[in-house]
Amino acid sequence: MAFTARAENVSPLAALKNVLQDALAVARVGRRTMHYLIRGKREPGSVARQMFAIGNQSLFFMCITMAFIGAIITFQTGLQSKKLVPDFSMIGATYLKLLIRDLAASVGALPLATRVGAGIAAEIGSMVVTEQVDALRMCAADPVDYLVVPRFIASVIMGTVILIIGGFVAYGSGMLVAQLMFDVSPHTFTNLSLVTMGDLVLGVSKAVTYGGAIALVSGQRGLATFGGSEGVGWATTEAVVGSCFAIIVLNLVISTIGYFFVPAL
Amino acid sequence: MIRLEDVHLAFGDNTVLDGVSLEVPPACIYALIGPGAAGKSVLFKVVAGLLRPASGKVFVDDEELGPLNEIELARVRKKIGMLFQNYALFDMNVAENIAFPLRRLFDLSEEEIAERVAERLERVALPGTEHRIPQSMSGGQKKRIGVARATIARPPIVLYDEPTAGLDPVTSQKIYDLVQEEQRAQDTTVMVISSDVAGVLTIADRVGMLHEGRLIFDGTTDDAKASTDPAVRQFVHGLTEGPL
Amino acid sequence: MGAPAAPVGVLLALPQRVGAFLLALATQIGGVTILLGQILRRLNPARIDRHELFRNLNRMGVRSVPIISATAAFTGGIMVVQAAPFVEQFNAKGFIGWAATFTTFRELGPLLIGLIFNGRVGANNTAELGTMQVTDQVDALRALAIDPIAYLVVPRVLAMISMMVVLTILGDAIALGGAMLTADLLLDVDPRIFWASAIERLETWDFFVGLIKSLLFGVMIALMSCYYGLATRGGAPGVGRAVNASVVASAAGVFIADYFSTFVLD
Repeated sequence: MAFTARAENVSPLAALKNVLQDALAVARVGRRTMHYLIRGKREPGSVARQMFAIGNQSLFFMCITMAFIGAIITFQTGLQSKKLVPDFSMIGATYLKLLIRDLAASVGALPLATRVGAGIAAEIGSMVVTEQVDALRMCAADPVDYLVVPRFIASVIMGTVILIIGGFVAYGSGMLVAQLMFDVSPHTFTNLSLVTMGDLVLGVSKAVTYGGAIALVSGQRGLATFGGSEGVGWATTEAVVGSCFAIIVLNLVISTIGYFFVPAL
Repeated sequence: MIRLEDVHLAFGDNTVLDGVSLEVPPACIYALIGPGAAGKSVLFKVVAGLLRPASGKVFVDDEELGPLNEIELARVRKKIGMLFQNYALFDMNVAENIAFPLRRLFDLSEEEIAERVAERLERVALPGTEHRIPQSMSGGQKKRIGVARATIARPPIVLYDEPTAGLDPVTSQKIYDLVQEEQRAQDTTVMVISSDVAGVLTIADRVGMLHEGRLIFDGTTDDAKASTDPAVRQFVHGLTEGPL
Repeated sequence: MGAPAAPVGVLLALPQRVGAFLLALATQIGGVTILLGQILRRLNPARIDRHELFRNLNRMGVRSVPIISATAAFTGGIMVVQAAPFVEQFNAKGFIGWAATFTTFRELGPLLIGLIFNGRVGANNTAELGTMQVTDQVDALRALAIDPIAYLVVPRVLAMISMMVVLTILGDAIALGGAMLTADLLLDVDPRIFWASAIERLETWDFFVGLIKSLLFGVMIALMSCYYGLATRGGAPGVGRAVNASVVASAAGVFIADYFSTFVLD
């Protein structure tokens, strides 16, 4: 991957070429994932196992992170609105709208990618360097079908669930900060008047997309691992950075579509 | 039958196979020898379609692998069983590991699968170990489980990568005997990579020697023993004097 | 987690996990603090391996410029797209420049660049030190009477902290470029109005809050990634575990540092 330092001294042009190549490689894995999603045979229990692994390793971490994020965002929003209009009555309404429409999914997806992406890439990567993936291929088990697809399904479902839970936690911590720092009562804070159905649809579709993107980018990076145990370390790094970058690009794309087709107010 | 025609392969600047051509006739045991990092394991992966050569042609049973996609390659791989150098056993128990190819490739009842697994374990002298975890077993035991997994689907072609590495001489000979008996019973085509040259020559019909990505010898076992090429002579007879 | 869970009832499982978590947390905080002490001792008097320092500055800083630039540009755009409906409703085009600079300087710039820096440089650093540790290269240095902290850790820590600050300044600038461009395209806000509103309302302090934050994040990522790298045990699989643990701990550390500095620095 172009963004990591494995290859020494790459020119900016070569770096851009590498990014495009990586994006193409992820797209190819994505296409095969879709193919097997429809036609492949699932090993019973494989999706449930991955869902448990993802939930188990990231729920606690995500709750703590989202609590801090919620507090920070509320505080910053409060500071900013204090300068414009010294009125905090709409701080909760604005915060909840932003949280549902974007922040819960897009900000939460970055720590989620760190946790889940690193896990997927490390697991698949160590199977590659111990030749287990080659052994799978010898048994006519396409690694995309056997390894990536269950993680993809699990990441889409669990990722969305965890981001929604994280959104509730961020709401709670934001409410606490609003009460303590700006004297906004939970009652005033919990104001859903600005939230529309479109916001909810947009937020959930972001969460679903990020969940899928994390699994595809990290799965592709894991399968592309080479060079022994050090290679697994590299693949993990690349999975985290690649997933974060994919999330940011997808956020811009979805948010722009949302701006034009899902009226905010 | 396996045939390679002028196969080239490189990882970056590192040339691994530099114009290899060889043919393994049907129902033959072909020993592939050579010093470390000569490209032997890579050659196996090329034969199995796990790595695509940069140029040259690979034929398995008269079918060229080059134009095939991953799904068509899977069809060819059904004919091939492979023992990996580092075992490549899955994080499952012994029975699940051995049964894996059967489950993926055939539609058999659980009783049939259990029966075949027990038969294979008997054959590799590890009866009753179905429920153990391979990670907790010795290197020799893992190799033998790998042999059982490679042969359970009765493929017409079997590739053994270092079947006896790290084993004591008695166990090594038992593995060689097993490889030979299996080959005679099923008339399979077998390729064996081994660093234990003396041992593998006792069962091989033909020998190829790979050195720095080139096949510097290809012939019958007797020819190999009588070769006057200094590198081949040195390697086959285990001499310290010579070009290697 | 290594303890047998079988005899422990379901009721005790949760307290046991919480206890194990707290114990592990205490060990890590202690370990990081000791490492910090060791580093500070070697900075007085400062004897820094110049070659290692420059190598790391290049590797960690210069080579991160593409990803940081790309991330910052997209983030600047996203910020304006998100704010767009509010700007239109309240007819606040005159404020968008200030809102974007305020958010970028104070929060978004340091935080996002910190997270990307953590994923790219921090993880990388743990993988490298971890590999050296499990292949006994660190002990080999000791055997050659070379102090691994002075030779390996100090240049890395200094390079990471300084590069984090420099990259934040760069990222801030590029994010604002992205924001300005998006505001122009999406909301028809003239770049001159964008900057005028920023200059009129922005305080110098807003910019420095961000720099102090990025410095803190740099310290956090540098210490965590070196600590987890040197604490790697258990051969090859241990490196993967160490990288994973390091990235997650640094990310959590960045958020916690952000939280406290946000309140203290106001």
